[in-house]
Amino acid sequence: MQNPRKPASRLSQTQAAWILLAPFLFTYGLFLIYPFFRGFWISLHDWNLLAVAFNPDAKQFVGLRNYERVMWGRNIEWGPLAAPFWQLLGIAGLAVSVLLRGTKRLSRFNAIALGVASVLVIILPGFHPGEEGRWYDRRFWPTVANTIVFVGLAVPGVTISALLLAAALNRETRAMGALRTLFFLSQVLSVTVVTLIWQIMFSPRQGLIANITETFGGTPINWLTDEQFAMAAIVIATIWWSLGIAMILFLAGLQDISKDIYEAAALDNAKGARAFWYVTLPNLKRTVTLVVVLQIILHFQVFGQSHLMTQGGPNDTTQVLVRYIYQTGFRDSELGRASAMAVFLFVIMGTFSVIQFIVGREKT
Amino acid sequence: MSGVTLNNVIKRYGDVQVIHGIDLQIEDGEFCVFVGPSGCGKSTLMRMVAGLEETTEGEIHIGSRDVTRVDPAQRGVAMVFQTYALYPHMTVKENMGFGLKMNGHPRDEIKSKVAEASRILKLDDYLDRKPAALSGGQRQRVAIGRAIVRGPDVFLFDEPLSNLDAELRVEMRVEIARLHKEIGATMIYVTHDQVEAMTLADKIVVLKFGRIEQVGAPLDLYRDPDNKFVAGFIGSPAMNFVRGTVRGVAVEVPAFAGTVRPDVALPAEGMEVIVGLRPEHAELDPSGDTFRVELTEALGGVSYAYLTAKTGETLIFEERGDRRSRPGDTVSLNYEPRRLYVFDAESERRIR
Repeated sequence: MQNPRKPASRLSQTQAAWILLAPFLFTYGLFLIYPFFRGFWISLHDWNLLAVAFNPDAKQFVGLRNYERVMWGRNIEWGPLAAPFWQLLGIAGLAVSVLLRGTKRLSRFNAIALGVASVLVIILPGFHPGEEGRWYDRRFWPTVANTIVFVGLAVPGVTISALLLAAALNRETRAMGALRTLFFLSQVLSVTVVTLIWQIMFSPRQGLIANITETFGGTPINWLTDEQFAMAAIVIATIWWSLGIAMILFLAGLQDISKDIYEAAALDNAKGARAFWYVTLPNLKRTVTLVVVLQIILHFQVFGQSHLMTQGGPNDTTQVLVRYIYQTGFRDSELGRASAMAVFLFVIMGTFSVIQFIVGREKT
Repeated sequence: MSGVTLNNVIKRYGDVQVIHGIDLQIEDGEFCVFVGPSGCGKSTLMRMVAGLEETTEGEIHIGSRDVTRVDPAQRGVAMVFQTYALYPHMTVKENMGFGLKMNGHPRDEIKSKVAEASRILKLDDYLDRKPAALSGGQRQRVAIGRAIVRGPDVFLFDEPLSNLDAELRVEMRVEIARLHKEIGATMIYVTHDQVEAMTLADKIVVLKFGRIEQVGAPLDLYRDPDNKFVAGFIGSPAMNFVRGTVRGVAVEVPAFAGTVRPDVALPAEGMEVIVGLRPEHAELDPSGDTFRVELTEALGGVSYAYLTAKTGETLIFEERGDRRSRPGDTVSLNYEPRRLYVFDAESERRIR
């Protein structure tokens, strides 16, 4: 019997695209989109982790009350001079953005970004509890401030040291290749190993830093339990840990700059530091932006360093947002409030992602 | 303004020597072209003058100054790169003024010098653009402008036209010639294109494997080459070469199926020589049958006929006028014996 061949049914390009995309879309939806909305849903409930685990009906819809409980307080007032340092800084920033935009020395996008940031710095620190008033959650805003301080120190620290390292290692010799690998190696360590190494480094008894201080006749600092140094210690460990990726990105950016340009610069009397300032840096602008934004997003999620090295202490000086979310959710079982904080963190990081996206599209 | 003197200049990379003791005198205001096949060391030699490559041995003088160990920025040279090497983040104006800015010149002076250079190069409309928004020819002009603004003693051009399309190349070539006339500074120009060399140069330096083959004015090199390499390199299409053997006062040339009597002092009987004849120095005679026409290229005013001799040697000759040969024709050559060049087969030196 003859079996006439059916004409092979062919997919249109669109159909094929959907079929090929389906596994990704499914996974993406299941593990990212759904949990995100679920998290937001939880943040609108009074949701005790243990109670709901045993009885799914033990939750109660409370609307935005979790957000209020976390971020607001009783008798909260706004004063123009509640935090004079920050507010004056904000006014100065606003003035600078207007001035630089007026003289065309700043692109419109940058001027707006600086302006918005300045306005936030003027407004946000102005809120404070009035007489008889208090924050509902006294630890939340100090924790946010700690996180911002951490990011504010770690990001420039990583960016500048990675940039200098990359510039120094941007040569095609075997030694440089070995050094690059060496510097990148810290990146592959897990946070437990990194914090262990640095706990030993910072130890006032047998630590390397203490030994060096003693050699020069100083008294060793008790880094991890001193309120003034605990944050610095965490930042230093973080810089050491996350240098690698930034350095690799900078190396890639540096290799994009043609050698001819440096030769032209040498003839134009720009060598060494001046070549770096006038030729290298401007050509690395996009890479710097990328690194900074990636680092901001990454370091807002700091958890391990604080949790393992200082346990948030001393006196909450190294308590950071993710650790606070973790404690609220899994130690105190207040899943609803923890989710509200997580949404707050998401908004911050989302903002920086949008900035990264816009800057990435801007023409140089 | 000042000339350039190279004194037994040598360049080695580790054990590999690429420049073998070059002596050269470039006069003040002269347009000197380094020409040669790729890898002959012409770019290296220029970069040594610029100070971008270290000189292993020997001395380089610019004017009366010994600059052999002087920093590139202090040598009083400006360079135009093949890739233009413009600073991509700076506008045309900033690109041109950068050198002066780095040397601490006042802003007004920079402004007037940039304005002057952009007038010479017709760049006025582009001063606020970035290099990415310019065409290849405009970029090249900016690169030249950057050199002019610095007011150097010596201009260095490193294959400046090879990234441009053919039409623009001719245009820029004329412009560079005009520029040299207008500024009158010493210029060194590296190219592998012998047309550029012939049209621009006051003096051509032909290089091969890091050695100078011959130095001279363009037409002197064309008319009176010292050796087979220069004879073959200068002139387009290249000179034809065929093997020959000395027979008394004549040379037996198998490819020509006979003997020729060049007007030179021939070496001893039986010596192997090479006979050269330029494509433009002979006429094809359709009544002969010494050569077979393999292929013709008609360019309009002139055609090139590719001939094969019975010995298998191939030759190219030029044809003008109405009657031109076709593939498959058989021809012989008519030429004046004084047009023949004879070279020693072994040393390839010219026999005069």
